[in-house]
Amino acid sequence: MYGLEAINANNGWAICVVGISIVFSGLVSLSLVISQLHKVLALYENPSKIKAFFKTKKTQKQVEDGQDTFVDLVLTQSQKEVSKQFALLVRTMEDHFSLPRLLHLAKISGLKDPYSNLNNLLKIGIVIPDGEGFFTLNNDRFAQFIE
Amino acid sequence: MVLILRGKMNDIKEILNKSKVFGSLDEGSTAILEGLFDKWETHPGDTLTNADDTAHTFFLLGKGTALLAMDEGKSVVLDAPGDFIGMELLSAKGVYKTTLSILEEGHVFTASRQDFLDIIQEDSEMAATIMSAWHEYLDVKAPFARNNEDTGLLQQF
Repeated sequence: MYGLEAINANNGWAICVVGISIVFSGLVSLSLVISQLHKVLALYENPSKIKAFFKTKKTQKQVEDGQDTFVDLVLTQSQKEVSKQFALLVRTMEDHFSLPRLLHLAKISGLKDPYSNLNNLLKIGIVIPDGEGFFTLNNDRFAQFIE
Repeated sequence: MVLILRGKMNDIKEILNKSKVFGSLDEGSTAILEGLFDKWETHPGDTLTNADDTAHTFFLLGKGTALLAMDEGKSVVLDAPGDFIGMELLSAKGVYKTTLSILEEGHVFTASRQDFLDIIQEDSEMAATIMSAWHEYLDVKAPFARNNEDTGLLQQF
């Protein structure tokens, strides 16, 4: 018995398919490893990136945890009006804005008691730190306490 | 306007014990630090330091909220009693690099920058404890501030 007849008789086609699958899977895995190798080499050359990664995660968690420490202040109508004016100023800035810049804009715009009112926004959690030195507006808290 | 209250302060010990930077010091070390600090009452709008002025004072927050404005628009809000505002967070090479403003009425404790640096430059366990706690505090409070300077030399504060 020779040729195709012999292959059929000894499960040759099945063995062939299994063999091709194994080789193909191996090559795909190898290509994936090689494609990500540059990241491993970058970490090997600069281990501080690993530390920075975990620090960022830690900071983000602390920022998230900090939201639980916000105070539910009851604002007067006048304070709510100033808060709305602060929010308008924020909307002229970038999503992650500079707090000293916001305070400066509030002062030159003539907002009432800019320091105290900005402090209220921080205490309530309407203005929250992003962990990178800038701040964002928490629209949910704003809607809850001001609108 | 900043009102300076000089004399023996009973609550400085309590604030030092609460502080994340100084809270782990033993009683003897805390007593040494107590003698460094004077109490200032603060009001919203007070500016305690201006960037580019000569640095002569470090601060320990007693009560209230302070805004520390750094370069490139970055800032950090300090509102926990015992928050320490000094070293690379505040100054570099004897010059303030940040502007410290008060947002909420309260008080701060002030220490001479030079007196404080004299203590942490000593080869002592107290200095090592303070510096270790300071780096941990800075990593949590303002990790972005640590990238600005090489923190290897104390003289640079």
